[in-house]
Amino acid sequence: MAAGHPGSQPIQPVIMLFIYTLLFLLLTCLVIFAAPLRCKAWAALALVGVGALWGIVRAALVLGGGSQPLLWSLPDTLFGGDTGSMDPLSALFVVIISLGGVAATLYSRGYLAHTLPQKSPTHVALHYASLAVMFYAMLGVVCSDGGLSFLFFWELMTVASFLLILYDAQRREVARAALAYLIMMHIGFVLLVIGFVRLDTVCGSGSFDALGEYFHEHAVWPLYAVFLAGFGMKAGMFPMHVWLPEAHPAAPSHVSALMSGVMIKTGVYGILRITGALGDLPALQTAGIVLLTAGIVTGVWGVLLAATQNDVKRLLAYSSIENVGIILIGVGIAALGKAAGNPMVALCGMAGALMHTLNHSLFKSLLFFGAGNLLSQTHTTSLDNLGGVARHMPLTAILFLAGTVAICALPPLNGFVSELLIYLGLLDGIASGSNILASAAGLVALALIGGAVVLAFTKLYGTVFLGSPRTHEVAEASEVDNGRIAAMAVPLAGILFIGLFPGTAVGLATRASDFFVLTPVDAAEWLLTPSLAAVGRTVWLLLVVIGVLLWLRRRLLRSRRITAGPTWGCGFTSVNVRMQYTGESFSEGLQAVARPLTQSSGDGAPVGKGETFPDAHSFDIGHRDRIGRLFAAWWVELLRVINQRVMRLRTGKINHYVLFALAFLALVFLLSICNVI
Amino acid sequence: MALLNTLLLLLAALCIPGLINRTRARLAGRKGIRFVQHLYDVRLLLRKDAVYSTTTTALFRAVPSVYLGAALVAALLIPVGNLRPLISFDGDLVAFAYLLALGRTALILAAMDTGSSFEGMGASREALYGMLVEPALLLTLGTLALLTGYTSFAEIFSGEAPRGAEFFIVLLFATYILVKIVFTESGRVPVDDPRTHLELTMIHEVMCLDYCGVDLAYIKMAGWVKSAALSMLAADAAAALFGLHWWIAAPLSVVLTGVSVGVVESTQARNKLSRNTTFILTIAALAALLFFTAYLLQLNIAIQ
Repeated sequence: MAAGHPGSQPIQPVIMLFIYTLLFLLLTCLVIFAAPLRCKAWAALALVGVGALWGIVRAALVLGGGSQPLLWSLPDTLFGGDTGSMDPLSALFVVIISLGGVAATLYSRGYLAHTLPQKSPTHVALHYASLAVMFYAMLGVVCSDGGLSFLFFWELMTVASFLLILYDAQRREVARAALAYLIMMHIGFVLLVIGFVRLDTVCGSGSFDALGEYFHEHAVWPLYAVFLAGFGMKAGMFPMHVWLPEAHPAAPSHVSALMSGVMIKTGVYGILRITGALGDLPALQTAGIVLLTAGIVTGVWGVLLAATQNDVKRLLAYSSIENVGIILIGVGIAALGKAAGNPMVALCGMAGALMHTLNHSLFKSLLFFGAGNLLSQTHTTSLDNLGGVARHMPLTAILFLAGTVAICALPPLNGFVSELLIYLGLLDGIASGSNILASAAGLVALALIGGAVVLAFTKLYGTVFLGSPRTHEVAEASEVDNGRIAAMAVPLAGILFIGLFPGTAVGLATRASDFFVLTPVDAAEWLLTPSLAAVGRTVWLLLVVIGVLLWLRRRLLRSRRITAGPTWGCGFTSVNVRMQYTGESFSEGLQAVARPLTQSSGDGAPVGKGETFPDAHSFDIGHRDRIGRLFAAWWVELLRVINQRVMRLRTGKINHYVLFALAFLALVFLLSICNVI
Repeated sequence: MALLNTLLLLLAALCIPGLINRTRARLAGRKGIRFVQHLYDVRLLLRKDAVYSTTTTALFRAVPSVYLGAALVAALLIPVGNLRPLISFDGDLVAFAYLLALGRTALILAAMDTGSSFEGMGASREALYGMLVEPALLLTLGTLALLTGYTSFAEIFSGEAPRGAEFFIVLLFATYILVKIVFTESGRVPVDDPRTHLELTMIHEVMCLDYCGVDLAYIKMAGWVKSAALSMLAADAAAALFGLHWWIAAPLSVVLTGVSVGVVESTQARNKLSRNTTFILTIAALAALLFFTAYLLQLNIAIQ
C-alpha cells in the first residue's frame, strides 16, 4: 500500500495510490495463496503484524506530539485531489484497528484449524487474504482525509468484510445474512457518495476540511443528515442497526470480533469527523441534541434487546449496538457542551466517547473470542444448552469474566473509566447549568443502560459458565489451544492497563479529542488529571481491600473443617440440572417491562395445565427486534423480486450479451444527441 | 477528619440493624433482643466451619470478599455531614453507584454459580431491581449536583448549599427518595422481606442460601455497610435543611433508617413480586419529579 511508502517525501507529484493499492492487494493474495495450507494463518498474521507495527509506531509519534506528515497525496483525482494524513484522532483509531486486527488474526489460526480439512485451500486463502485486506482498508479509511480515497477504502472494507462473513457460505442463514449486510452497507455507501459528490461540486474538494467550509457557507442539515445516515449505517445507529444481530452470529467469531470491535468504529469515526467539521456553528447545538437522542435510543434499544436474547453471539451483537449508543451519548453531550461554551463538558464527553471506543474494541473482541471458544468446543452458542463451562474451560471462563466486568463498566476495569468520563460530562452539564435537561436525559439513559448491561451479562455469564452443564457436549468440552488464549490476552492487557492506570490512557484520548475541543491539550489534561488520579487510587484501594479480605477469610478458614455437599435444594430431594434457571427465565422480569420493544415468538407446544403427567414437549421461545421485522418484511422481499426480474436477462447466450452492449451504446448515443448527458 | 468520618460511618453501620430490631420489637410490644445481637451473630458465623456446594467454582468463594470490599470502598466516598470523606473526586457519585453495582453483580454471579433454581430466581430479581433503581439513584444525586453546582459528595455537602423555603421542599423530597432507595437496596419490606420463610418469595436472602460461616458473615457485614452508606446520604440531604454538621448527620442516619425500616416492617406487608417493578419505577418517577422541581426552582432564581 502507498501508506507505507511516501512518508519520507511528504508531497510527491503523483503517487499512484490506486496502482499501489492494487499492487499491494495482488501481493497479499499472492503471499497468502502461495503459502501452504497450515501456514496461511501465519502469512496473514505477518502481513497484518507489519501494518499494525507501522500503525502503532506512527500513532505513538503523532499522539506523543510529533509532526503529522502527509501519507499520500493525489493532485488530480475525481474529487480534486486526495490526501491522507494522520492527526491524533486518526492515530487513536489506528491504534484500535492495529490491536483488534492483530488479535483477530492471531485468534483465527486456532479457530479455523479444525475447519481446514473441509475447505478447499483457495477458500481458506481467500478468507485470509480478505482479512489482511480488510485490516489495511480500515487503516486507509481512518488515515484518509476524505474524498475519493476515503470512499475507495470504505468500499474495499465493506467488500472484504462481506467475504469474511461468507466463510461458512454453505449454510443458508450465513449467505442470507451476508447478503443483507452487503445491501445495507451499500445503501450507506450510496449516501456517502451523494454526500461527497455534493461536497465536491460545491467546494471543489471532497475532504473533511472542505466539509467545514461547506457547513460555514451553506445549509448544514441536508448534507449532515446524509452523512450521518451513511456513517450511522456502519456504526449500527438506531434504526439502521438491524444488520448487526444478523451478521455477527453468521460470521466466524474472529470476524465478529473484528467487525464489532473495530469495523463499526469507522462509522463512529465518520460521525466524529462530520461533527468536528461543524466547528462552533449554531447548528452544533442541534447536532448535539440529535446525536444525544440517537445515542439514548440506540443504547436503550440495544441493551434491552441484548438482555432478552438467548444466543451468545446475538446478545453480544446487540450489546455492540448499545455501546455505540453510549459513544453517541458522549459525542452528543460533547457537542452540546461545546455549543454552550463549556469546555469541561465538551472535553469529558469527547474524551469519554473516544475512550469508550477504544475500550469497547478491547472487551468486545475478548468476548467474541470467548464466544468463539464456546462454539468450537461445545458446538452451540445457545445459552440454554450451555452451563457449567467454567469447570471445563477455566482459562476461557476467567478471560470472559474479565470481559464481562469490563463491559458492565464496573471498577476496576476499563469500561468504568470511559463511562465515568461520560457521566462526568453529563453531571457537569447539570451542575454548571449549561445543558441541564439534555444532560439529565443522558444521565438517566446511561444509568438505565448500566443497570441493564449488568442484567444482560450476568445472565450470559451465569447461564453459560456457571452452574451445571445442561448437555453432554458441554460436559465433555476441553480448553482451547494456547494460541487462542494468547490472542485473548492481547485485549485483556489493554483492559487491565486502562482500568488500573486511567490517567495515562485517558491522556491519549484527550489528545485525540484535540480536533473537537478548543482548549489546549495541556489545559485539557489539567482539568481531568486530579479526578483520574483519584479514580486510579480508588481502584487500587478496592483491589487492596478485596485482597486483604480474601487473606483474612483464608486465615479464618484455615482452622475450620471444610466439607463439600450438594447445593441446597430447598427441601426438594431430586434436583437435576434441567431445573437450573435458564437465560430465558433470568430475563423474564425484564421482558414484562420491555414487551413493547420485542416480538416474542413461541414454537412448539407448552405443557398444558391439564397435563398431570406431561409427555415430552419441545417449546422454543425467541425474541425478535420489532425494527428488524419491519425492515425484513418489505424491502428484502422487494429486492428479491427485482433480482428475479433482472436475472431473466442473464440468459447465458453470447449473442444476447452482444445485443445488450449494442443497446447500451445506442442508448448513450441517443442520450448524447438529446443533450441529456 | 477523614478518619472520624470513616469511624462514624462504620459506627452507623453497626447501629442501624440494632435499632431496626429494637423498633420492631417495641412496636410489637416485645422487649426485643440485645441491641448488639447482630454482632454476636456475626461473631458466631466467623467461628463456624464451612460447607460448599460441589457445583460451585472458585468464583463462589471469592465473591463475599468482593461484595464486602466494594461496599467498604463505596462507603469511604460518603461524607458524614460536612466532614471530608477519605476519598473524594469529581464524579465520585458515579463511582459510588458503580461500586454498589460491582457488589451486586458479584453476588448475582455467585447465586448463579450454585446452579439452584431458587438462587437463580433471586439473582434474576436482584438484577432487574438493581437496573430499575440505578436511574433513580443517579437522578437524585444529579439533582443535588444541580442544586449545589458540584459533582462530588464532599463538595455537595460542604455546607454551601443554598437555603430557602423552596430548597427545604426539594431536600426533604430527596431525603424521602433516598430512604426509599435504602429500602430497595438493602432488601427490606415492602420490596423484600429478610424474614420470609419461603425461598420462592425471597430476593436478597435467597441469593445467599448456600453461603455459611465466614462467607455469610462477610455478606451480612457488607449489607450493613451498604445500608449505612445510603442512609448517610439520606441523612446528609436531610441535615442540609438545618445545617450540615456531623453530629446531626451521623445520629440522623441511624434514626432515619432504623426507625423507618422498623415501622414499615411492623405495619406493612411486603409487595407481591409483580408489584415490585411498579414500586421501584415509582421511585424513579419521583426522582424525575424531584429533578424537574429543582430545575424549575433553579430557573426561577435565574430570572430574579
